[in-house]
Amino acid sequence: MPRTASLLLGLVVLLAAIAARADETCQSPYLPKLVGQEEFVYVWTLGMDGVGDGSDKLVTIAVDPVREDYGRVASSVSVGGQHEAHHGGFTDDRRQLWLGGLDTSQIFVFDVATDPARPKLVKTISDFVEKSGGVVGPHTFYPLPGRMLISGLSNRDGSGRTALVEYNHQGEYVRTTWMPEGAEYGYDVRIDANLNRMLTSSFTGKTNYMRSLPELIADPEAMTRFGNTVVVWDAHTRKPLQILEVPGAPLEIRWALQPRHHYAFTTAALTSRLWGLFRQDDGRFEAIDLAPIGDPQKTPLPVDISLSADDRFLFVSTFMDGMVRVFDVSEPRKPVVVHERQIGKMVNMVSQSWDGKRVYFTSSLLARWDKAGDDGEQYLRAFTWDGKTLAPTFALDFEAEGLGRPHIMNFGSTAFYRGVTQNADAIVSAGTTP
Amino acid sequence: MRAVLLLALLLAPPALAHEPAAAGERPSFAPELPAPGSYELPPIHRVSDAVLLDGRGAPAPLLGLAPGQVAIVSFAYTRCADGGGCPLALAVLQRLDREVAADPALRERVRLVTLSFDPTHDTPAVMQDLRERMRPAADWRFLTAGDVDSIAPVLADFGQDALPLIDARGRELGVYRHVLKVFLVDADGAVRNVYSADFLSAELLAIDARTVLLEAAPAAHADFGGTP
Repeated sequence: MPRTASLLLGLVVLLAAIAARADETCQSPYLPKLVGQEEFVYVWTLGMDGVGDGSDKLVTIAVDPVREDYGRVASSVSVGGQHEAHHGGFTDDRRQLWLGGLDTSQIFVFDVATDPARPKLVKTISDFVEKSGGVVGPHTFYPLPGRMLISGLSNRDGSGRTALVEYNHQGEYVRTTWMPEGAEYGYDVRIDANLNRMLTSSFTGKTNYMRSLPELIADPEAMTRFGNTVVVWDAHTRKPLQILEVPGAPLEIRWALQPRHHYAFTTAALTSRLWGLFRQDDGRFEAIDLAPIGDPQKTPLPVDISLSADDRFLFVSTFMDGMVRVFDVSEPRKPVVVHERQIGKMVNMVSQSWDGKRVYFTSSLLARWDKAGDDGEQYLRAFTWDGKTLAPTFALDFEAEGLGRPHIMNFGSTAFYRGVTQNADAIVSAGTTP
Repeated sequence: MRAVLLLALLLAPPALAHEPAAAGERPSFAPELPAPGSYELPPIHRVSDAVLLDGRGAPAPLLGLAPGQVAIVSFAYTRCADGGGCPLALAVLQRLDREVAADPALRERVRLVTLSFDPTHDTPAVMQDLRERMRPAADWRFLTAGDVDSIAPVLADFGQDALPLIDARGRELGVYRHVLKVFLVDADGAVRNVYSADFLSAELLAIDARTVLLEAAPAAHADFGGTP
């Protein structure tokens, strides 16, 4: 074999592998990724009584500066009623956006491909509880090839015993995988395809998450009913391998994205600690308590994290104090806070672009956990990030706009669905080189 | 561009001999493989059979499976220049083809199908040329269609995207944007697993095929060395 040809092929395979592995910061590795300027931010928004029509809705924000409607609402589609809108995710071809309601367990399927500026509700899945065998609270929507993996939060009886549920792209039930004994609570699910490892975290049952926060905190018995575990799974067989102790409700999980970075981060909400989940030489994982997030005595309540594509910066948003803290995690076992900023009186989700230059925040945690009165501001705020400082670019007041409580954000672009190559540098399909 | 695929096809099998999915990036250890039949692969969705064209231009079924058989279906196009796409899939399938051919328990029960979604370029003659270069040892079929309209319903049925790219003047460039997918289909037309570049390996495909075949022929457990 000619040496140069062999090297060329090796380079092609190497680049392909890197591209296939990663995704825009927190998305599934099976998803085509958006590596350039995002055109839209899709915001799954909880309905508020007295605000607009009061219903949950998918709000599409134009965020590409070249658009005339930059920084404004491009469209808004109400799904009718309040379902405790929370999380959602794209199907593996990025043509549909599935959005879940933690209260009613309904799943709303939007077509975002036909007109990305104006998504259309094409299906409502109402059999999640029945088909899954009693799982309620569809939380993380994690695309696998040909199907959607959905982590539940709770059970029909309101306790936290829950499961992972799979549906195909036609909206038909495929299977339920219950959480293992000793780690019954669920929250997030994330896969490292190359390691064939899946991680799940743990929150609390419906009787807790649908209760008002002050009332819940005043109930010591209820406060014991939170998850303290992360489960390591064989991703292919869906079999649990290890139960790791991570006290205090570990929520969002983010795998490192760079090759040979065999670790993930999570944050424990109630204890306000940053944890690392590291693969050891024998293939097993260890959970390491890495650092406090703010002053744990003040219960800042870390609720979301976002890891930069180069695995250098981890953004951690804390609901109670409305702060974001940026950790330098270049040395993952020795994180250092390098920047912090007040985002609002409360803050929840944080999402960054693949190139790490733009960061977006939304305000709402859960309808009955959000702050009230003047402290309960509802917003999306956009910033640029230069590696040192966050600088504001635009903001939207979701209450003044008649929208509601904004929660999870997903990025969209027309370029995914058009064959014109002038936009090709904005996107890359999974399994292809950038 | 075609030269790139040919180069990749010629070189890929030896270059990818050990780590087909991601040679430069996969961890230095190999995740342990499960025992056939030790886990479940529930039906994901059903697909329909279709009549397409083989390398001689004759009508041929996409699946055409008898009871107790499975198919490994992949979609590709020969102009693909993406090293992590079609050439990778073909390299992995070539390894699987050799493994199936060497195993009497699989040889008559596993069919490989590679279908082009670029029938304008990938005529039956082009697919026959691809077949001759891949030198199948087992039942590996190379199919295309008479026109794009004949392929479209098959792609939609499987959920395989394939978007032809065009330049600013609207001219097709002969390049498709597509996510690499390979499908394991049982004799009832049920898709039992879908693979992407991240975890596409001949070993895993063979183990999954054995797992599904164990359901169809419980008496043959011993043949596959699996756990019922």
